[in-house]
Amino acid sequence: MNIGTRKILDRSFTAVGIGSIVVMAVALMIVVVPIITNGIGAVFFTGTVEHRKMLFSEFKRGDSENLSSEVASSDRYRAKVYGMLTGFEAELETMAPEKKAEYKAKYSEVKAALQALLGPFPGDPAPMLTRFKYGQTRWEKAEEKLHDLLYESKWDNSNPDVMAKEYFVSRAIGFQGTSLVKLFPYVKDNMEKLLLPEFTFYWGFITDSSVDSHFFGGIWPEIQGTFFLAVGAMLFAFPLGVVAAVYFTEYARPGFLNSMLRSANSTLAGVPSIVFGMFGLAFFINTLKVSESKSVIAGALTLAIMILPTIIRAAEEAILAVPKTYREASLSLGSTKWNTIATVILPAALPGIITGGIISLGRAAGETAPIIFTAAVSVGSAIGLADVFSSPTPALSWNIYNLASEHEAAAQIRHVQYGMVLALVSIVLMLNLSAIVLRARISKKLKG
Amino acid sequence: MAGESGGECNRTNAFVVSARKRTMQKVAKKAGESMLFAVASFVAVIVLFIFYFVARDAVPFFQIRGFTEFFTSSNWYPADDPGEFGALAIIYGSLMVTFGSALIAVPMGVAAAICLSDILPFSIRQYAKPVIEMLAAIPSVAFGFFALVVLAPLLQNNGGPMLMWAWWILVSPFMLLTVIVLSDLLTAKIIEPKRRQQMHIFLLILFSFLSIFMLFKVGTVLYGIQILSGTNALNVSIILSFMALPTIVSVSEDALQAVGRDIREGSYALGATRAETILKTVLPAGSSGILAAVILGIMRALGETMVVWMASGNSSQIPEPWFNYLQSIRTLTATIAGDMGEADQVTGSARFHVLFAMGLLLLVISFVSNLISERIVVRQRKILSGQ
Repeated sequence: MNIGTRKILDRSFTAVGIGSIVVMAVALMIVVVPIITNGIGAVFFTGTVEHRKMLFSEFKRGDSENLSSEVASSDRYRAKVYGMLTGFEAELETMAPEKKAEYKAKYSEVKAALQALLGPFPGDPAPMLTRFKYGQTRWEKAEEKLHDLLYESKWDNSNPDVMAKEYFVSRAIGFQGTSLVKLFPYVKDNMEKLLLPEFTFYWGFITDSSVDSHFFGGIWPEIQGTFFLAVGAMLFAFPLGVVAAVYFTEYARPGFLNSMLRSANSTLAGVPSIVFGMFGLAFFINTLKVSESKSVIAGALTLAIMILPTIIRAAEEAILAVPKTYREASLSLGSTKWNTIATVILPAALPGIITGGIISLGRAAGETAPIIFTAAVSVGSAIGLADVFSSPTPALSWNIYNLASEHEAAAQIRHVQYGMVLALVSIVLMLNLSAIVLRARISKKLKG
Repeated sequence: MAGESGGECNRTNAFVVSARKRTMQKVAKKAGESMLFAVASFVAVIVLFIFYFVARDAVPFFQIRGFTEFFTSSNWYPADDPGEFGALAIIYGSLMVTFGSALIAVPMGVAAAICLSDILPFSIRQYAKPVIEMLAAIPSVAFGFFALVVLAPLLQNNGGPMLMWAWWILVSPFMLLTVIVLSDLLTAKIIEPKRRQQMHIFLLILFSFLSIFMLFKVGTVLYGIQILSGTNALNVSIILSFMALPTIVSVSEDALQAVGRDIREGSYALGATRAETILKTVLPAGSSGILAAVILGIMRALGETMVVWMASGNSSQIPEPWFNYLQSIRTLTATIAGDMGEADQVTGSARFHVLFAMGLLLLVISFVSNLISERIVVRQRKILSGQ
């Protein structure tokens, strides 16, 4: 090869390497940016009067005078809508039977769309489920529902070779010549007066518990559950891990037994997380019977086993990073080996050990598979500290899965899901960032 | 070390401490040490327990149904009466996404590791490392949510164009390189400079046309593809590769760092460029460590639950044809996670035990590959220190 080609190859080799790091950074951005932008929408959004109604009656929050004046003003505009409906119902009675049947079907669709937008009609019995007690609480959802009201969606199956395409037909055309035709432009033009949108900062998303399986309300039970599980796991794993690391670094003599223990450690680190879940079910719940069925304690123990190898490794590294001179100085002053470890080595290694602990805490908070069979439940309220030995808990990681994949109306509560993911990701990344900062400070300190 | 310091202590204390107290101290020291050992061996006990308890519930399945059906049939109807427990399609699904993610993650991960250890200056490396750590820290369920809610609809609605753009962006630089190198290699034998230059230019133009033609041809084919379901093996492979990347990068970076400076300097002294040094000396010297990294990364992809559960489509089938990554699949981990709630734990039906059989399979695979990667690392360390 001539020298030019070799140079080009060399440059492109560098480019491939840098490119792959850039791709990783971009991938991180692509994953994190939608989570952040959509997740913030769970807390900051344009809320309608329905949101304030919901807050007042479910959580007893808000200014009742202000709210009642708002409700009164929106009811003035709503009354006209309901008037049109009753007018059309009267008109319907006078129609010829076949025409009546045709309009009735269409009319019930319109009614359903209006109900989804504005909440139950006055005079109707109160719905059983809280989700139907209110209209759209969020402005962007209200606009979607408005679209549903104005247009009927149809599917184009004319070409069998490609997938059916959705298209929209205006509902107003279907009601041409009846009194209801005025309803559609009226609702469209008076949306703001009907729903009174207002910029809302809903801090309750963090501190409230959920209402009617996350249709309204916040994610406090999940945050608390994640906190209990992660901290519980640390309580078991951290002391064990540090002691084991002390043994491995200070006392273990090279040999068959030691290499077996080390192999066990790396095997444990490589066990798939779902297998930890199965083990937790088979051992802690079915054999040891730490609790009747799923419980926080069983989940915390399972998570503790999972993070133990990470903690041991981090603590070992931190202890080995303590300069030899510290140890020798302490020993030369006549202190015993145990004394040296407890008063010199461990304090010097502590920041490093804590860094490893923080990273493991983040891992325990984010892991889902081990708690599926041992601790997690889909719907539930926040549990007290006394209940950790007997009752399961909702947790962020599990409920993200549950709301996104198994919830009956997953597509309607995307904002809650995004909010939960953002909460979990920011908890974990915050922990990791603090670990990174801490480690940078340690390495500066050790360098002197 | 332990014996030395202990001896010193005893000698100095001998003048002031009575014999009885000394034995007490010795006993206490031994007791403390054995307690430390007990805690350290706790990990080994847990590993044994995990094997025992997973196997205990897995063995009844093989007793009831035997081995043949589980490994050779792809009829998975556990809820029927009598159920069918052919896990072949599920095992295949696991292998398929693992292979797919390795295909993306291994080249990228090794390239990034080389870049971190040999190419980037320290000041930039400081910023690149946290990116990799953050990627490793993001919880798997967040990746799964992204795959399900963002990536799957994108693939389903714009799958063809996305595939075409990915093809263009990824392949065209390599195509260009191949053209340059190939035309250079083919003309290297021609001695007369003028003819060689003419031939070189001719070949460059010829190969460029050929490669552009090929890029277009494949691009249009990809453009026409319609992805029926966004939750498929491709989606999962992409996400899993990003989850396996941090492991691959950090472990292979360690392996490359372990290759000494002297080897690199020897290569530079012989006139090799940086790329040649890395490809021909550093990579071969660190290859076993990189292999270990790849094994660990692959294990991360094989053992991952949430992403595949949420975004693989969970249909227990071998895709048609077998390499079709655009179809839904089902994996071992997702099956365990999804079916455990429905399986009857109390009576211990075959449906319950088959999940433990799958768990045992995963456990054995991860154990064996861990052992292999560990042996590889130990051997590499020995070889490198021996040199």
